[in-house]
This record gives sequence, C-alpha cells and structure tokens, in this order.
Amino acid sequence: MNRYVKDLLLKLWCGISGIMVLSTLSFIIIYIFMKGFSSINLDFIIGAPKGVPIGSEGGIYPAIIGSVYLMIIACVFATVLAISTAVYLELYCKNEKLLKIMHLVIHCTAGIPSIILGMFGYTFLVLRLGLGRSLMAGGITLGIMIFPFIEIRVEKILNEMDKNIVYASYALGLPKSYTFLKLLLPIYKRDIISTVLLAGGFAIGAAAPIILTAAVMYAPVPRTVLAPVMALPYHLYILIGEGISVENAYGTAFVLIVLLLTMNILPILNSLSRGGE
Amino acid sequence: MYKIIEKIFSPIIRLLALCSVLILFLIIAFILKESLVIFKEVPILQFLLGRSWRPVSNTPTFSILPIILASMYVSVTAIVIALPIGIGCAMFISFFIGDVSREVLKSIINILAGIPSVVYGLIGLLVIVKYFEVRFSLVAGESVLAGGILLAIMILPYIINTCSESMIEIKKKYMATSDVLGVSKLYMISHLVLPAVSKAIIASTVLALGRAMGETMAVMMVIGNAPIMPKLLGKAQTIPSLIALEMGAAYVGSLHYHGLFAAGFVLMILLLLINIILYYIRRNISY
Repeated sequence: MNRYVKDLLLKLWCGISGIMVLSTLSFIIIYIFMKGFSSINLDFIIGAPKGVPIGSEGGIYPAIIGSVYLMIIACVFATVLAISTAVYLELYCKNEKLLKIMHLVIHCTAGIPSIILGMFGYTFLVLRLGLGRSLMAGGITLGIMIFPFIEIRVEKILNEMDKNIVYASYALGLPKSYTFLKLLLPIYKRDIISTVLLAGGFAIGAAAPIILTAAVMYAPVPRTVLAPVMALPYHLYILIGEGISVENAYGTAFVLIVLLLTMNILPILNSLSRGGE
Repeated sequence: MYKIIEKIFSPIIRLLALCSVLILFLIIAFILKESLVIFKEVPILQFLLGRSWRPVSNTPTFSILPIILASMYVSVTAIVIALPIGIGCAMFISFFIGDVSREVLKSIINILAGIPSVVYGLIGLLVIVKYFEVRFSLVAGESVLAGGILLAIMILPYIINTCSESMIEIKKKYMATSDVLGVSKLYMISHLVLPAVSKAIIASTVLALGRAMGETMAVMMVIGNAPIMPKLLGKAQTIPSLIALEMGAAYVGSLHYHGLFAAGFVLMILLLLINIILYYIRRNISY
C-alpha cells in the first residue's frame, strides 16, 4: 500500500509542477500580448517619443532602431572573436593544458553578471577610451556579454563535425585555413548563423550592460557610432521605473517580445528549410 | 596561394583567441583597480561587515553587509521555490509526455529563458507586487519575497533544461532494461533516475544561483531598493541593483564611485567562485 501512496505522490509532484510551469508560461505570454496589443498602433512604432515627461506620449521608433544598431555591433564584435577562438581551440590548439585553461576562462566570462560588464564598459570604454555614452561603447559591452554564448556553441558545432573531412584535408597537406574556410565553413554556415541570431536576441533584450554605457532617455536615431542611443529595454525601464506611462510600457514590452520571437523563430525556419533540401 | 592565406589567417586567429581570453583579465583588473581606492579610506572588514550604506551623507559610511545578505536571501528564496518545481517539471517532460510534445515544450521553455529581464520586471511590478499589496494589505508590496518569486520564474528554464537533459540520457540508457525487468516507471524514477541525476541537480542549482545573484533589472524593479537588513516581506537592495541605480549619479573618482566598484568586485568574486565550482561539477557528470 505504502508503495502506491509513494507512486501517487511522485505522480502528483510531476503533474503539478508541469502544470504550474505551463500555466505561468502561458500567463506571461498572454499577458504581454493582450496588454501590449491594445496599446500599439502604427504611430507608436514609427513615431518619436513626445510629451512631458518624455515618453508619456508618442512612439518608440528611435528606440527600435537604436536597439537594432546595438545588436548589430554586438553581433559583429562577438562573432569575429567567438569564431576565431573556436577555430583556434578546435583546429590549432594542441596543448591540452592550455585548452582546459581557455575553456575555464570562457566559462567564467560567461558567468560574469551583465551589470559588472556594464561597469567595465563604463570605466574602460566610456571613460578611459573616451568613447562617451555611445552606440560603440554599448555595442562592444553587449558583444562581450554574448561572446561566450556564441563561442561555446560554435565550438560544439566544430567539435561534432565530420572528422573524416578534417583528416582527409590534413592528409592532402592542405593548410588549416583552407580546411576551415573552404570545407567546414560552407557546411556549418547555417548552424553558425542560427547561433548568432539567438545571441542577438539575447543582446537586444539586455538592459543592465547599456544603462551605463549607451542608453539615454531621449536621443534621435544615431548618425554616428559615437552618438548616444535610445534602446527598447532601457526605455521600458524608464517608462515603468519613473512611472511615466504604463500603457506605453506595455506597448514597448510587446514590440521587444515580437522582435525577440522573430529572432528565435528565424533559426528554426533556417533548420527546417535545410531539412527540406 | 593557400600558403599565403594560411600565413595571414593563422596569426589573426591566434591573436583574436588571445584577445578573447584577455577580456576576462582586463575586466577583473579594471574592476579591482577602481575598487582598491576605497580600501585606503575604509578598512576592508568594515566595508564587508558594517551595517550602513550612506554614501552621500555628511559623514559617509560604506558598508555592504545588508546588501550582500539581501543578494543571497533573494537568490536562496528563488532557488527554494524553483528547485522542487523545476525537478518535477523536468521529470514530467522527460517521462510523462511523448517525443513531439517534449520538443515543443522545450522550445517554449527556451523562449521563456529568452524573455528580457526588464519584461519580467514589468510583470513582477504590475502583477506580483500589486497582488501582495492587495492580498496582504501591505503599504508597499516590493519585497524580498516578490523578488524571490520573480527570480524563481526566471531561473526555472535553467533548472528544467539541465535536469531534463540528464534524465533523458539516463532514460535512454536504462529504460529498456527496467522495462524487461518489469519495473514500474515510477519505481524507476524514484530509485534509479533521481539518485543518478543528483549531480545534475546540484549543477543546475549552482547555475541558477549564479544567474540569480547576477540578475539586475527584474530584481531592481520589485525589491524596493532600500539598503537595510533584509526581511522576507520587507524592502531590500541587492548588489546589482545598487550599482545600476547609483552608478550614473556617482561623481567619477569620488569615494562613492569607488565604493560601487568595490561592491561590484565582491559580486564578481562570488560569481567567479560559483562558476569555477560549476565548471568542475559539470566536468564530473558522466553516466
């Protein structure tokens, strides 16, 4: 009898937790969509913020563009670093000890909280290098944040590659640059792009690193990389934190989530279209 | 031709790989350099163990014990809430549903992990905090508990992913054997799976702890930001929220500025330790 009670409790535990997670999940998504959808319209998306205090009326166009720019800079910066590091670790590095140390270092970089990266960006990029609060400083800070994310996944992709290709190319005496650029890159291009898109979604939603390095309450669409920008997550924080407009905050959250979902769905479509080939 | 490309390609790759490793040391060095200044004025023990943070009063005091304790309190509350639910849900998606619905559920949970923390903060402020104010008739619903509940939702995906990965691994390995022996699924879960995934559960807890300690925006929006000793239903302030709120206002080069860096340095050391532990736990996971 005791066993049946135990089984029942275990079943209950699994069932209740599953239902709790699912209901929380659907609540969050439905909540944002219901509240957000009613407060957005075309003017909200293509208009600049207006009103006193700023943001209480008008739209969020500069923030959308600012966020996209920040994401692009972050992705370019992080992808170049991450792919180089992954290629080095997978193809060039022969020293086991060095390999272990580098893995630990990258793992630790991944664990640094985003606000510390923001502080580092503030003291090093903004003040020391004199970039000021700018697109560039914020982009690089976000880039440092997503670099370990991309590196770990690209390295995994390269690690699971078809070793026959590599050994065959070595046997032919081809240099490693040829092996990577002409043989491996074309095969794994899609996977790498998917990873970068996911990382971009991660960067676009992050507020903590850009509070100190890039974002301001109001700025027009930036013309140079040294101009301060508006960004969606920071704008959302200001709207709600300063109690400016809950309505517009819902709208901003909605736009942010839609952008993110697009970035999340693109890789899935990407892999589906490959499945069809 | 290929030889020339290789001659250019190889040093660039090596250089960039070196840069990526140097970033971590650059970050540590800069935060350390900026925080050392304050320890000339305030003894390190007083900084860590004193009880009041008043950086801009006439006789400024810099002590972050309540803030460190609050950071831990919120994170531990979140883990206490999230761990049982996370393990339960991991068992649910590993053993009680089909392959197709598992994949769908997993990708939805991953989307949950991708929702920006400001959006969680918005929901926390407008749903959880408001509920507290109405339900318990508190003057202000911003509290450690509200932060803990919100953080619990945010760290659930990490716990579920880490645990269910290990569970599915074990299921693949032993399901056939235990079916042949006529062992019930529930007996298998409680006597084989749960003991075997204990390491993964510890890893997920450490990972979640790291995430929770470093979380800025969501916690900052629901915790009230008062640097006092934390109580479950009272306001508190965590290290990340302290930095995010006061950094912009602190005059560059002032003690306040360096004090904030020192607080950041304490947080960074805590998280580096957590991550080194996590790295070694993960390397030892094998079935």
